[in-house]
Amino acid sequence: MRRMNGPGGRGGKVLAGTAVAGLCLLGAVAGHRLWMNSGSARVVSIEEIEDGDACIRPARMESENLFSAFDTPSVHAQDANTVDVNRPPVRELLDTAPIFSSVGVDNVRNEVYLQDSNLWSIRVYGRTDNAKPGEGATEPRRIISGDNSQIQFNSCVWVDPGSGDIYSVENDTGDSVVVFPNKATGDPKPLRKLHVTHRAQSLALDPATGDLYLSVQYPPQVAIYNKTADGEDKPIRLIEGPKTNLSDVHGLALDTRNKLLYLNSWGNISDHLIAGSGHFVDPSIEVFHTDANGDVAPLRVISGPKTQLDWPGAMSIDPDNGDLYVANDVGQSILVFHGNDQGDVAPYRVIKGPKTHLSYPTGVFVDAKNKELWATSLGNSSATVYPLTATGDVPPIRMIRGAEEGKQSSRFGKTQAIVYDSKRDEVLVPN
Amino acid sequence: MHPQIAAFPRLGLDNTPPVRALEGQKTLISRTMHGFAYDEPRDEIIVTSPLAQAVLVFRGGANGEEAPIRVIQGPHTLIRANPYGANSLVSIDQVNNEIYLGVIPDAILVFDLTANGDVAPKRILKGIDGSVAVDAVHNLLLINTNKGMMIYDRLASGDAKPKAIIAGPKSGMGRINTFQVYAPKGLIIAGGTDKPGGTTSFVGAWSINDNGDIPPLFKIPVQRLTGYGPNSIAIDPAHKEMIMVTAGGSGRVRPTRNIMNAIVTFSWPEVF
Repeated sequence: MRRMNGPGGRGGKVLAGTAVAGLCLLGAVAGHRLWMNSGSARVVSIEEIEDGDACIRPARMESENLFSAFDTPSVHAQDANTVDVNRPPVRELLDTAPIFSSVGVDNVRNEVYLQDSNLWSIRVYGRTDNAKPGEGATEPRRIISGDNSQIQFNSCVWVDPGSGDIYSVENDTGDSVVVFPNKATGDPKPLRKLHVTHRAQSLALDPATGDLYLSVQYPPQVAIYNKTADGEDKPIRLIEGPKTNLSDVHGLALDTRNKLLYLNSWGNISDHLIAGSGHFVDPSIEVFHTDANGDVAPLRVISGPKTQLDWPGAMSIDPDNGDLYVANDVGQSILVFHGNDQGDVAPYRVIKGPKTHLSYPTGVFVDAKNKELWATSLGNSSATVYPLTATGDVPPIRMIRGAEEGKQSSRFGKTQAIVYDSKRDEVLVPN
Repeated sequence: MHPQIAAFPRLGLDNTPPVRALEGQKTLISRTMHGFAYDEPRDEIIVTSPLAQAVLVFRGGANGEEAPIRVIQGPHTLIRANPYGANSLVSIDQVNNEIYLGVIPDAILVFDLTANGDVAPKRILKGIDGSVAVDAVHNLLLINTNKGMMIYDRLASGDAKPKAIIAGPKSGMGRINTFQVYAPKGLIIAGGTDKPGGTTSFVGAWSINDNGDIPPLFKIPVQRLTGYGPNSIAIDPAHKEMIMVTAGGSGRVRPTRNIMNAIVTFSWPEVF
């Protein structure tokens, strides 16, 4: 016979208030933990008790007694009727606004594309749209969304300035890069759908070579395709392996003038072929030649406490001077590095502070033609625009709002797990 | 993208922002946290960092960029994954102080709940992979393989075989995503669809004594009621509620409200 100590116990040998179906939950005894909470029965320890110190068994059929031996057949007949419970939910907690993870600017056609992972959409706005204080959400010109579009938990949007084609990377459930024509709207089928490695994150196109560079979080790699790749087409080359220093890769940027490829790594490392090989290192930015292939060491690495890197997201290059802009998510900042920086170096400019309206920025784009810097913030469903030379706590010169002013977003990405914290009466939900 | 662990009030409704969130480089968390645990007696959060083959333990009230208080990681742990899947599902036995971690391709690793550093598992159950829950009242170890529910003795190890299997077309166990055990009533509460790619997601309750192709005792047809299928569920016996979280509709069917991420709570007094 076993005796169970649970939160429903009141000390001594008493029946817990919610014990049912032949169970006897007894209170804690001296020398054992007594733990009280909001009144539910939850077992926290089990101990043997002496003969005769048994709980009272309610008179139940043996087949319904949960202390019966488990080697016996099921207590339920094969043809048992299932009771359908058709009550609607008592509560729903959703974020009803788009949550912007990425920005692409088409400065040829003066439009801005915002990637939204909450409503599974790409929203297209005028480049000079501006939500003024007191105004509501900015109305998009077009929305691409729906089953045909195959937009899901997409993490990156990119517009080919030549053709105007729209490229979008699916990060989890779709494993694809989908391509739409420039004026696509509604629920269109993509022009092309390229099947890519699971956990693809960011892309950029080299207009001179027609190469498409795609970062993959894990196993970390950069896959280089022709930009017209479709279906099951394979990469032309891969940058991957232990020499690359890549880990949990997120942002990717191309400096086509200097033929440099920038990637950032979060420092979560393991070789999936070797059990127990996992370890953590500092986040970093790796710089490769754009022609790099295979398991090659980066030309330079930027890493260390001075860099302020904290879950770096998208990156973008100013083609005129090679400056590197980094959306620094949990750092609540945009970091700007010189193109030739390496080692533990501080960014030479940081855009950060309450006036900036930055809140968990994960998207960034340099519009060199208009000398503007764009950022998207997960935390307030907005995109903000700054002068390209901005530094410090500067207000944006324009803003696109996906929700009302003052919105505090859930920052939902892909909510796939939940636990209940009874101590705080909270639910915990990871992305 | 942004692999936060965000906390919301249980009674929160649409557009309630998180009251706190674990996030940032110092937390060591990464993507693919598909199952984790809250240890009530110790007030700790247990979660995996799959890309770094680690199990992280945080204070229950951890907030912001807070480092874990313990990390299980290293060659002795035998934690591994594969390029697509990962050691993404961790669960605990609060009574017997153990952590359960399914690792690909085919093992369940068991660690002490207070383990820290490069420690070997105390037991290994071989030949099976999946999500785990323990019924400490009845000394059972339950493993969802996505094809059925395998029921073992709690201390099963090595090449032990299950003592019961709930599987088959009537059982609805064809593609279960998530489950919990409510030990005081001996119930398995599980959510998913009855077949891979199914679009009629439900959350059902079976008895731990079931064996074979047995339908659930109770069933909430959550997708028909809400448009959402369960990616994960939590149970709250105190309030007699089942809380499910979803990321897109089951079978990638768009939910009615066209919003992909949702926390949906059902009252379910019949099972608590």
